[in-house]
Parts: sequence; C-alpha cells; structure tokens
Amino acid sequence: MGAVTPYGLGVDAFAQGLASGQAAIGDVELFSTELHRTHIAGEVALDLEAALPDLAPAHRRRLSRSDTFGLVAAREALDQARARELATQAGLFLGSSTGGMFEGESFYWDLRQPGARRPRVSRIASQQHNGPTDAVARALGFGGPVVTLSSACSAATMALEAALRSLRSGEVDLALAGGADSLCQLTYAGFNALRAVDEEVCRPFQASRAGLSLGEGAGVLVLETAEHAAARGARVLATFAGAGSSCDAHHMTAPDEDGAGLALALEKALADARLAPEAIGLVNAHGTATPLNDAAEWKGLERVFGTRLAEIAVMATKGSVGHLLGACGGVEAIASILALARGKLPPAPNPGPLDAECPAGLAHGGERALSLPCAALSVNLAFGGANAAVVFRSAASPASEGAG
Amino acid sequence: MRSDLVVTGLGTIGPHGAGVEALAAGLAQSRVVRCEVDQSPAWHPAQPARFAGRVDPAQLKPWIDAAKARRQSLPSRLAVAAGRMAFEDAGLERAARAGRDVAVSLGTAFGPNDFTAKLLDQIAGAGPQSASPFLFMESVANAHAGQVALDSELRGANITVVQREASGLLALIQGAACFDDGACELALVGMVDEMGSLTHGMLDQYAALSRGAAGGGELGRAFDAGRDGFFAAEGATLLVLERASDAAARGARVRARITGAVRANDPSAPRTDWGSGVAHLSAALARGMQRHGLSPADFDAVVSGASGSRRGDWLEAQVLKRVLGAEALPTVLAPKATLGEFGGGFLGAAILALSSPFGPTPGFESIDPELGIRPHDGRELAPPQRLLVSSLAAGGAAAWLFVDAP
Repeated sequence: MGAVTPYGLGVDAFAQGLASGQAAIGDVELFSTELHRTHIAGEVALDLEAALPDLAPAHRRRLSRSDTFGLVAAREALDQARARELATQAGLFLGSSTGGMFEGESFYWDLRQPGARRPRVSRIASQQHNGPTDAVARALGFGGPVVTLSSACSAATMALEAALRSLRSGEVDLALAGGADSLCQLTYAGFNALRAVDEEVCRPFQASRAGLSLGEGAGVLVLETAEHAAARGARVLATFAGAGSSCDAHHMTAPDEDGAGLALALEKALADARLAPEAIGLVNAHGTATPLNDAAEWKGLERVFGTRLAEIAVMATKGSVGHLLGACGGVEAIASILALARGKLPPAPNPGPLDAECPAGLAHGGERALSLPCAALSVNLAFGGANAAVVFRSAASPASEGAG
Repeated sequence: MRSDLVVTGLGTIGPHGAGVEALAAGLAQSRVVRCEVDQSPAWHPAQPARFAGRVDPAQLKPWIDAAKARRQSLPSRLAVAAGRMAFEDAGLERAARAGRDVAVSLGTAFGPNDFTAKLLDQIAGAGPQSASPFLFMESVANAHAGQVALDSELRGANITVVQREASGLLALIQGAACFDDGACELALVGMVDEMGSLTHGMLDQYAALSRGAAGGGELGRAFDAGRDGFFAAEGATLLVLERASDAAARGARVRARITGAVRANDPSAPRTDWGSGVAHLSAALARGMQRHGLSPADFDAVVSGASGSRRGDWLEAQVLKRVLGAEALPTVLAPKATLGEFGGGFLGAAILALSSPFGPTPGFESIDPELGIRPHDGRELAPPQRLLVSSLAAGGAAAWLFVDAP
C-alpha cells in the first residue's frame, strides 16, 4: 500500500496520524482563501525534492501536484510489495476527479490576464484528468491496461473494482489501483458554492455537523491474484473480496435521501464477495459530514444491515484528513485494511454528540476494538449519483477466493 | 471480458447530424463536415487551425428537454441525446429497462472544458463566492454519465473513463466488464466530447491539429505521407450492450458481436504524444489475439484509429504491420479521416463497418514509405465478418476490440 495524506508521505505517517486522534485539517496555504467563504482543508506539506529525490529537477517540475502524490504513493506500494519490476506487465487503474486542475487553473488565469505574456503551453501538459495515471505509468513503466476512472468522489473505489475485474478475468496477474487528487481553487469554490463546506473541521455523523472539509493526497494498493502472490512469496495484507457499484439516478449532487441507490451498491459488493451482511464488522463510511449525505448514507446502510448496524464499528476517515475527492476511496481502503490488521479502529477526531438519525459506531473517546474475524466494507458516494463499495477481509481470516 | 456480448443499439450525434443514417451517409460519401472555430478568445496560436467538426444545435433539439438542457453542459446534452437514440435503436423503451441493472460507462478525452472555463472566469472575475453551483456540478468529468443515468433512470454502475483518444474503446471495455460476475444486465457505453474554442485552441497550441500544410485545407490525412495532424470533432456515440442470449430472447436486432478486447500501455509515450513502443504494443496485441484463439488471417478488416497524427499514425501502422503482417494486411478503414478525432464517431463507425459501405479515405494521396499503409480507397467490399478495432492514445494507453458480424 502507498499513501500521501495530509498527515504526511507514506502509509506509516497515515497510520500514526489516524492513531493520534487528531485531524490533519488546518489553514490552507496552497492558495489564498481570503475571498473564499471557508479557509481550511487537509493539505499535504509537499517538499518535491524530498518526496522524489532521485528525479531530475526538470522532471519533477513537469509533474502536477496530483501526479506527484500518485507517483510517491505508487512507488511506496510497489516497493512494499517488492513488485516494481513487475510493472511492465501489470495493470494500472487510478481514480482522479480533477487531475492537474491546480496547475490548469493557474495557467488559465494567466492566459486570461489582459496584456500579459502568453504562458507556456507546456504548463498545462499535466492538466488532464488522466495526468496522474499517465505520470505513474510513464515513470514506473506500466505496460498492461492503463485506465483513469473519473467518477468524482467514487473514482478510486471504482478503480479498485476495475482492477478486481481485470485480475479475475485473467487479463493481468497484478495491478496497482487507487486514486490521486490535489486541492485546487475550482473545487474549493465549487463545494463552497454548494454550501457543502464547514467553516470548522468536519464532524461526520455528529448532530452539529455542518459540511465537509476538503483534502488532498493519494492512496494506492498493489492487488494480485492469490495464486500470483503465493507463487512469488508475497506478504498478503488483506483479501480484496468483492466490489459493487450503482447509481442513484436521483439528482446530480444530492444523494437519494432514502438510500436505495447506495444500498444497491452495498448489496452488489457483498454478493460479489459472497458474504452475508453479518460478516461485516467494519464500515468505512463515505461520511462527508454534510447534513444530507450522512443521513442518506445511513439510510442506505440501514437497508442492508438493519438493526445490526448499531453494533458495527464505523470509520469516517474524512474526519481525519478531509475529503480527498477522487483519491478518497484509495486512502479509505488503506485505512480499512490497517484497522483490520490492528483489530481496532483509531480514535475519531473531534468527538461530539452523534445525530440520532445516523448514530454511527465511531471510535469517539478512544480506540474501538473490532469483533474479529470480520470483513470491512468501504463506501463512497459521488456527484452524478455514482455509488461504489469494496469489501476487504483481513489476511488472517479464513482463506477464500479473491485478490490479495 | 465475456465473449457473448452483442451490440443491439447505436445512438450517435456529431457533425454529420443525429442518428445512424446520418453517420452512415457521411462515411459512405467520405464527407467531412466542418465549421470555422471562434478564434476571438485568442486561445489559438498564430497561423491557427481554423476548423472543427461541431454539432448543429438544431440536431440536438428533438432529443433533449429544453428546460433541463439549459442547466447541462454540451457534453451532457450530447450524451443524453445519444443515449436516448441508442435505447430507441435497441427497441428498449423505458418500460423494458425498468427494474434491470443497467450500467453506464462513458469515455471522454477532456470532459466539460467550456463549463470549467466559465466557472474559472466566475471565480477570477467576480470572486470565488460568486461561483455557480450548477456550473460546478456540470464541470466534473462524470457529469454527462450522471445526466444519462438520471435521464434514462439507469441504476447500475456509473463509470467515466478519461484516457485521451482511447477513452471510448476503454469505456466500452470497462462497461463490458460490468457483465462479469453478473454485475449488470445491460450497459450503455460510448464516448462524448465537445470541441469548443478553448479545447481546439489548446490542441492547436500543441501543434496536434492539421493546419493544411500539405495543401488542400485542414484534413486528418490518415496514413498519408503529407499528414500534418488530426482534425478535431465533437459529438457522442453510445452503444447498448447486452448478452447474446438476452438479445435473442427479446428478438432484438443485433448490430455486432463483441468477442474480445485487449488493453495495454506504451510507457515510452510522452505526456502529450504517442510513443515508440512498437514491440511492446505488438506483443500485447498478439498475446491478446492468442488468448482469444484468433490469428491474423481471421480479420477481414481493421477499423484503425489513425487520424492524421504524425506520431500516432506511425505507431498504429507499425503495430498493425507487425501483428497482422505487412504483406497480408486486410482492408484498413480509417474513419477518423472523415469523422475527426474525438466525439465518439469512431465507435459508431466500428459498428457500421460490418454493414455499411465506406467511401475513400478523405485526404489520402500518397503512401508514407515509413508507414506503408494505403487505407481504404472506396472500392466495394464484401461485408466483413470480423474486425480488429484499434485505438492508441497520446500518453500511451492502447485498446483493441474484436468485433464480429451478427
């Protein structure tokens, strides 16, 4: 696994940050928020030279912020899996919602400056949504299928699902999947325009929640068939048991309030994993902390888990690092796998009274033990009504089919 | 990917107009439909490319709701229209789709650039707090896929693939994968793109577009020795995919059978151009053919993604010759010479190639000795039984599809 989060570079920094129970959300320094309604986000403190020390400065300069996040996370994941040399035949499935928009918007505004010298067009080379995917593929030599999924906030989870289907079909034996996205003014202003951003650090599922906090980063996983992993003696961190997707077909930005669309994705993921709802002991919720989303998500979860939902441990990673948009599914999958491995949830930051309409079993006030063995369900919802869910089992749970 | 999928619906709108007949007529007549692009925003370089294939807004009107369209980007409107046409073509009215798990998988090379630019203008001009929620909602790359699902009440997976020129074929393959493990019952797949002044200007800044250097005006001279870039177009083409058994059970007309696909990547490709990974891509395609039990002699024709791009056509030609044999190449169709790059017309052409005549390849005058390919010259062909559809993208992505006649 590889991660870049507002806690820092690497999965260890992410794990330690989660364990601290402190949110990594603070004042935005990447651009001025003076004219914006809100002023905070989960921003990555990025030292390009330290992040990619072996890259020539000219090469580093050509990478967008999202490209860099994706590349740093991809290298970490492949190195941890001892799979760098396998990239030539491997698949790459990455989600990104905005690609290099941070660089693209700056180019565009420079271009629009009356009388200003025209900016070099090479500055927007990385602007495309597929920028991070292509940057990773090029730098690490991916020769198998390379696909960018850009389904907004569900993009990384859909990328995980796409990789799973590719592995199961025999197209590839190994794939890297997840997502990368960076902060930019377009999304910062856009979510504020929707009145979806809290002026304070977001508080998923709490009665006082008033919106999301934006964030940035990358989260990727090396996935391979169990046979391939066994044959090369790879250490298995978890089993990727199944995935499912659906669409609300209800509204472009608001979730289906009765949760029916989301429930369909959850049921498909469980069926795909050949697991009953009773097998799930951990839900990593989308949990944006907008009043509408958390309530609708809870309805969807209730449709699948019924009254047992009250017993299930719930994580809401966005309360720690913010909403990483097209990358959130990758980072949240990693958080889920870390929790399964440790057998407990890290403490949720900023505890407070829960909303009686969505009383999620968050780890408020300290770590929460999981009832092992169990499986984890990681869920994302997105603009356009796109829902996606993935199921992981801990490496220690009884063996069955799936991708490692 | 399952090998028992069939195409039962085709919806298309582009420079040639709306509907299958308009596209087929354009291909048969080798008619390049283009209009002058607005240069007033000054996105273009000096001595710019002037033309693009754009959609006549009047062609959209019968297919969209005017009230909803006011709040939709052009890609959303194009996709909604093509989606409705595709379902109508498939004989799958709303009632016939009700309760079924219908996936949507759409590709786009650039997403809704014009709405994104409008939103950026708002943010810079009147300040971030003036940003329009509806512009923001429609500026995300998956807005058109969401609008299609909303319009046609499709509750299956909703996927958006962005991978430059290969976006359409990759979206089709991703949609086809939704049938694996029973994850969907029907799928609406395809590609949509707009070609406004901004996108056209940026492509021109990269010298990607034909500027008519070889004389005879701006054309995507696929495989031609004098090619000088592609001709950019907008539009949407969506296909209905279903299992052959389901199509047979409802007596649906089958337009094509999708029997296999191959995906790969050329890591030698620079960010904005095609690479030189002939050996790698050829090996990937050859392996994929072998996996599907196919040999070069099995293909009656190639539907090539060649567009007049200097590096892209070179790479395409080398891979085709290496895999299929330079001396034994079947007929090579290059529909992007007629339809332009982007906008999804290529996908429609790939399906129509099984049943409709293609005219001579526009703009082709002389063989490039480095490429050694003479694309279709318009002679009458026996209807092909099996096609190789090829799509290589700038940046490295590659996709091939095996398509059989019904």
